[in-house]
Amino acid sequence: MISAFIHKFSSPKSFVRITKTLYPFLIFIGLSMLIVGWVWGLLFAPQDAVQGNSYRIIFLHVPAVIFAELIYFFMALCALMHLVWRVKLAAYLIKSAAPIGAMITFIGLFSGSVWGIPTWGTWWQWDARITSTLILFIMYLGILTLHGSFSNLEKSDRLMSILVVIGVVNIPIIKKSVDWWSTLHQPASISVSGGSSIDPSMLYPLLISIIGLGFTLISLGILSSRSYILGREKNKKWVSEYV
Amino acid sequence: MLQARKNRLWKFFIILFMSAGGILLILFSLNSKLDLFYSPSEMLKADIKPGYRIKLGGMVKSGSIKRDGTKIKFIATDFVKEVPVIFDGIPPDLFKEDSGVVVLGYFLDGMFEAEEIFAKHDENYMPPELSIEAAEI
Amino acid sequence: MFDLAFNNLNEILAMDGHGVYVWSVYSIAISIIVASFLIAKNRIKGVKRKIKIKNAPS
Repeated sequence: MISAFIHKFSSPKSFVRITKTLYPFLIFIGLSMLIVGWVWGLLFAPQDAVQGNSYRIIFLHVPAVIFAELIYFFMALCALMHLVWRVKLAAYLIKSAAPIGAMITFIGLFSGSVWGIPTWGTWWQWDARITSTLILFIMYLGILTLHGSFSNLEKSDRLMSILVVIGVVNIPIIKKSVDWWSTLHQPASISVSGGSSIDPSMLYPLLISIIGLGFTLISLGILSSRSYILGREKNKKWVSEYV
Repeated sequence: MLQARKNRLWKFFIILFMSAGGILLILFSLNSKLDLFYSPSEMLKADIKPGYRIKLGGMVKSGSIKRDGTKIKFIATDFVKEVPVIFDGIPPDLFKEDSGVVVLGYFLDGMFEAEEIFAKHDENYMPPELSIEAAEI
Repeated sequence: MFDLAFNNLNEILAMDGHGVYVWSVYSIAISIIVASFLIAKNRIKGVKRKIKIKNAPS
């Protein structure tokens, strides 16, 4: 039964159908939480004792870099599905997610740089955290370029998946970089185990912003995958019926 | 599981472990070169050629900041060793005592001449009122 | 917790001199995200149009 479910959901046709019905709900939850999180963080949260108001960039920077890493992790799972189970949809999803990953990694790097000017006194340092995040950005661009450079699409899909797998080791390196080496970037403020060194009055808007951006990016992914899937399967009968 | 699928799963893990192993080997061989700065102890132990530009990072020792015109003198410490630093210019806002600092410059005759100063803040975020309370306790 | 952290609009914009950093980062990020949505929607339209033209009886 489970395999039947995976089989059904992994057909591009039902994926497009199901995500189309989910889209209005996801975009509504995403945007409304993002607005609540950012308005709360920018206008209502107290200022930080050390950094003053410049810390308010956190409500954008932290969600952005979290999803910069999570999107790559999602792509690696898709690469596993594609390489081992030959799920075509998984390759389509990698191709659709990579530009979104590049976009949000850029926002993470950019917001971090600007935040660095008033707090650290520099917008760029080649420390382990910043450099490994830049490598993540380049990985996203490399994956897109690689896929665009072959005329045989099936071959492109497979090579792209392999490149995604090779690059996934960068994700734990980004995560641990602030513990393994001396960096200008401070260690993590929120840990997966639930600890936090952020005051609750700042943590709640941050968590809401994280969830909001997550749903917003999933919605964007739905749109991006729909155009790609329709384009890739344009000769299939279901696509002609769909449009 | 299909035999062909099993083989592909093996291939997947081989790719994963090869790339992880290769990258980790590179990281181990570079190890301390990936550090952004030397701590005072590391810098004093390492034999650094005079006139070689390096980064030093530590805490600004409490009560050590002395200002003389635009010149600033302070002591960078890792609570084991201390290095006096001299800087001429405007430091970032977050540069203060008992706070992290990274300086770029030259170590000459027991004195670190900084060309640039970066402030390193910690991972704690709290409103000013709470921070005053915390300091009083 | 739900009191405004600022007294008036000028304070909100200035943020004690940090406003230029905070507001520029947010406005650029929001523009990038909005642009991505518009591009994605446009692409769907474009692909649909192409498929319709291809399938149209000639």
